[in-house]
Amino acid sequence: MNSVGESCTDLKRDYDQCFNRWFAEKFLKGDRSEDPCTETFRKYQRCVQKAIKEKDIPVDGVEFMGPNKDKPES
Amino acid sequence: MRKYPNPMNPNVVGVDVLDRGLDTEGRLHSHRLLSTEWGLPAIVRAILGTNHTQTYVKEHSIVDPEEKKMELCSTNITLTNFISVDERLLYRPHPENPEVTILTQEAIITVKGVSLSSYLEGMMARRMSANARKGCSSTVMTSLPVYSL
Repeated sequence: MNSVGESCTDLKRDYDQCFNRWFAEKFLKGDRSEDPCTETFRKYQRCVQKAIKEKDIPVDGVEFMGPNKDKPES
Repeated sequence: MRKYPNPMNPNVVGVDVLDRGLDTEGRLHSHRLLSTEWGLPAIVRAILGTNHTQTYVKEHSIVDPEEKKMELCSTNITLTNFISVDERLLYRPHPENPEVTILTQEAIITVKGVSLSSYLEGMMARRMSANARKGCSSTVMTSLPVYSL
């Protein structure tokens, strides 16, 4: 699956691989250790945020129906 | 996390993670941006007044590994002057048989300022109901009773 910003697809793949590994091998098994993907995510995000601005995608300020749970601390 | 790509719903063409993190209860929250291609015919695009062929959706998901639940909430962020589709899906183990997953899907569809509104709402609702049934057989583990719309 490609990124919304075409040039970000490689960075996205790197991040996805890192995340999927952590998700399946750590998170779902109850291991709460720190996820190792922060740096890959940061690189990927820089690219995506740039693409969002360029394409003028209105990501902010949208209200959800929302899950019926307490909101997380961000 | 692998709802897309899904060969039964070829409309989603791009997915990006905007934000992700754990909350104080150990649940994983993700905010994603999805781009969808509807293949709208030119006349429909002319009516909507848009040159863009892609619509964008924002999705918030919560994975609870202890209760084995996953919740997805999404809403469109383009074409909002025309239509608003808020969808919520909840996957959880069946209370009596943990081998079985229950999917509950709800959607609130609002069509704004168009005389065809009830026709379009009905069409969207039927389409989503059909897609939910298709989606269940390809994205989820074993057989499941579907309580949808």
